[in-house]
Amino acid sequence: MNKQPYVAPTIRRVSQATANPQRLGRTPVMEAIDGVPVAGLLGEHGGPLFVFSEAALRAKIRDARRAFAAVYPKTTFAWSYKTNYLNAICRVFHQEGSLAEVVSGFEYEKARANGVPGYRIIFNGPHKTAGELRRAVEEGAMIQVDNRDEVLALAKLADELDREIRLGIRVHVDTGTHAVWSKFGFCAEDGEALRMIEWMTENTRLRVRGVHCHVGTFMLDAGAYATAADAVVRLALAAAEAGCGTVEYLNLGGGFASRARLHGQYLPPEQATPGFDDYARELCGTIKRLWPEGRDLPELLLETGRALVDEAGYLLTKVVAVKQRMLAGGCPALAAYGKGGSNGTLAAYGKGGPVSGAGGNRRNAVVLDAGIQILYTTAWYQPSVYPAAAPAAGMQPTTVYGCLCMNIDVIREEAALPEMNVGDAVVIHPVGAYNITQSMQFISYRPAVVMIDPAGRVHLIRRREVLEDVCGPEQVPEYLAETGEIAEEARVSVT
Amino acid sequence: MDPNPTRLDDLMLNDRGFVFDPNTGESYQLSTTGLACLRSLQHGTTAAGVLAGILEAQEVDPLTARWDLDAFFWEIKQLGWL
Repeated sequence: MNKQPYVAPTIRRVSQATANPQRLGRTPVMEAIDGVPVAGLLGEHGGPLFVFSEAALRAKIRDARRAFAAVYPKTTFAWSYKTNYLNAICRVFHQEGSLAEVVSGFEYEKARANGVPGYRIIFNGPHKTAGELRRAVEEGAMIQVDNRDEVLALAKLADELDREIRLGIRVHVDTGTHAVWSKFGFCAEDGEALRMIEWMTENTRLRVRGVHCHVGTFMLDAGAYATAADAVVRLALAAAEAGCGTVEYLNLGGGFASRARLHGQYLPPEQATPGFDDYARELCGTIKRLWPEGRDLPELLLETGRALVDEAGYLLTKVVAVKQRMLAGGCPALAAYGKGGSNGTLAAYGKGGPVSGAGGNRRNAVVLDAGIQILYTTAWYQPSVYPAAAPAAGMQPTTVYGCLCMNIDVIREEAALPEMNVGDAVVIHPVGAYNITQSMQFISYRPAVVMIDPAGRVHLIRRREVLEDVCGPEQVPEYLAETGEIAEEARVSVT
Repeated sequence: MDPNPTRLDDLMLNDRGFVFDPNTGESYQLSTTGLACLRSLQHGTTAAGVLAGILEAQEVDPLTARWDLDAFFWEIKQLGWL
């Protein structure tokens, strides 16, 4: 007789969630990525494992370019290195014609090592060392000046090199949808940015040829870009009017939302996330409306990161433990004192009876072999968690814990999952943006990363970390160099 | 009609594992195995018999099945059903 897959005997008190199965929606199974079976990927490369779809990367950047080219042909995309600077990922975008947008000397070096010439690099960010600025100037990078001290450093460098330096000025704008990112650049609305442009023109050999504004991140309101575009266009025209020369490019930064879902976001991403066409319409429509007729339109630069890479990234991970998590108010000890949360409430209506907190007032929970140290973005977003095999039983609200020995390591407070067993694989998605670059080595090694090419071939693009990657940079003082067993006298007696 | 119905007999179950306990007004959801176990108990099967049924029908080692079944019995005892 063929035996059935095991399903543990469980009982759950019916809550709002389980009483209405529709509330949980349908969680599709994700057995394969771009036709490559999840089980095979885990079998060959081990887990956890980040997987990127090259086809998805290329489809996204092409869709973005199509949308903007349709309304504003002079648009150029720059790949935001900080969003994901795995070399293979960067090179896909460079192959698709993207410039590099970097925010540190390290990222600048990475872009150069990826074969990007300096003049195709936008050098952004609030901290650029004197040496980094010199290299960027010498190599013709598009420096976006952020603050007074950088202006002064570049002015001195221009004198030293006895030449003009063309640059962009970063500004911030209140779009009304976000906390104003006033950490960066100069205020475009109170005259500060215009004064800086005039001051540079009159007192230095710095020539402002670009205006840069990055309004924020995960902008679900495409209209914010109309507000930002309005401000940067008016600034560019005012600068020209003041005799500071022509602004040749407007850099509207990034911030386009991916189809991730914020914590507390009511609408699903399919409904809440604007498309590239929406952003293009708001942004480019504003520029074209305000730019004087007869004058060449400025080039539009965009540094979109998240919206291009997030959905191309998956994390494959396995269940290592299955738990029942006691929900608040479900503690039998508390129930004994009449404080059993919902049971206590029911008791007031005579329905408490023998029902203790333990009886069914629990939630399924699973522990995965990956934690929030490699899923940094779970602090803000709730990725979907898909079973990698057809579920044997119906969906249940399930808490998804990571593998760290830290109570904060919760990947999803409540995901809809079937009854899971140890060894079952799940796919977490989307995770392509920021998780690689912001992941930290903590408690366990960072996992390998593979990319599936459009032909379905799987390429290792970052190997799993090993002890040497962690300990290599360390040094042990000579007096601690001797290894061996702990000295007997140092042992603590427990008897 | 049973003159001395137990709490277990009072329970109303459907085929999708939904349970209503008329003594408390509470509702519960059972897994497929949980439903099979509860029905077996209602039909008078012993704990050992329930365990044997799981082992016979499902791909599971005896220790795991025993662990989970004991946990299940513990929970329904807390509910006053056993």
